[in-house]
Amino acid sequence: MALQTTVERVDGRVPITVLALEGELDASNFERVIDEVRGLYDAGDRTLLLDLSGLTFMASSGLVALHGIVLVMHGDQPPDLEGGWSAFHALTDAVGGGGRQAEVQLCGAQPAVTRVLERTGLDRLFLSHPDRATAIAAI
Amino acid sequence: MTDGRGALDAARVERILARFAAASDRLRVAVVDMAGDPIAVSVGSIGDRVTPDDGLVLEIRCAGGLVGHVVAIGPAIDDPTVVSALDALAAGIGELAEAEDHSLASELAQARLAQRSFVSLRGPAVPGYDLASHYEAAREIGGDFFELFQLQRRRRPVGIVIADVTGKGIGAGMLMAFARPVIHAALDASRGPADALERTNRILVDEIRSGLFITAIAGVLDVTTGRLRMANAGHEPPLLVPGDDGPIGTVEGGGVLLGAFRSLGAPELDVRLRPGDSLVLYTDGVTDAIGPTGERFGEPRLLATIEAARRAPAHDIVAALRDAVAEFRGTVPPADDVTIVVIGRHRA
Repeated sequence: MALQTTVERVDGRVPITVLALEGELDASNFERVIDEVRGLYDAGDRTLLLDLSGLTFMASSGLVALHGIVLVMHGDQPPDLEGGWSAFHALTDAVGGGGRQAEVQLCGAQPAVTRVLERTGLDRLFLSHPDRATAIAAI
Repeated sequence: MTDGRGALDAARVERILARFAAASDRLRVAVVDMAGDPIAVSVGSIGDRVTPDDGLVLEIRCAGGLVGHVVAIGPAIDDPTVVSALDALAAGIGELAEAEDHSLASELAQARLAQRSFVSLRGPAVPGYDLASHYEAAREIGGDFFELFQLQRRRRPVGIVIADVTGKGIGAGMLMAFARPVIHAALDASRGPADALERTNRILVDEIRSGLFITAIAGVLDVTTGRLRMANAGHEPPLLVPGDDGPIGTVEGGGVLLGAFRSLGAPELDVRLRPGDSLVLYTDGVTDAIGPTGERFGEPRLLATIEAARRAPAHDIVAALRDAVAEFRGTVPPADDVTIVVIGRHRA
């Protein structure tokens, strides 16, 4: 149930902020994760690597969190009643054109999380790496 | 008369009830205040002598105090789905009364009521089949909905929809209220379920500005042949329970969730329900239910529960799942809506 987050800043080719999620991402905490990323963006972080190796469970509200995180890291408004889709569709159009956004990338996703991402199609939004080291080398 | 803890606004309650109870012709619902006077009668005429002793009686509480009752009469009151929906209604009316001085809270209470009133109470009676369902609302506005209805075309096939708006709160409730008739109409007017979801997606992508998504399954059942065509937009896959005791199968294959991308790419899934077969649809409120130790209900328990009840009629499979989730959860309040739909074809 509980979700712990830790932040680490590393230097790859660009400065990378690694946000590690540990525990379960669900309806009780997904908004907190978006808020945390908003804080990182406001502090100047521009490339985010989500380390999901400790994430054992992701409910469907976790998808809203991932979507919100992508929007925040693109400098758009977080999801709410009045905003979100148009910016998101600009992103997904880009994905449809063959590219993926690079500002938020994933690493270490466990099968339970990968399955949710694949089932819902949100995996196509993200570059995904097997582990943190590989991801940092690739970004 | 209420005791001043919160007035029940008769006109508003009546509007809500009218929509709510229109879903069932086997139910009449009234709200009575503490003096036993009906302040709203929604369907038929229960009459002006209704008292809280007349039928199924649920308390309306406001700021912790009893302010009135929802009273329902009719053959449907023994149906657990109806009881659950009425319970949610009573809670919602109490919230409305409590919130009426606070505009935002009032809006939320009304949205929650509206959502619950939109959820179907029961499906049509279809010879040769059992259509059974259970819906349980979480304390906060969730976004589950389902529909079982007969399409307006030759041989009156059955339209089937189950959906879950991701996230929670008033936005999820509003998106659900918008999407439900859109999917219904699309299924009625389109060539098939994949086309219906594709149309719905297009409308959501073009028209709606919300940061939420919808997972959904739409299906069309030819009741003569048992052929069930379905399409899945990011939802938990349906489970096919063969009547011959063969292994429970997962109906795999689907597209992305609704509203996110311009194209779904959901393939049409073609399943045949033979006599004795059942199809189980559910939302993640079932598998994600949390027990007292923090453990999730999960797929293994879902499958084991269905396995134990598989030879029973659809209503009993639904009841077994509903009870298993409730027992697993214990005293932990539901964090998400729970929806279960089972379509069973009678044995020959």
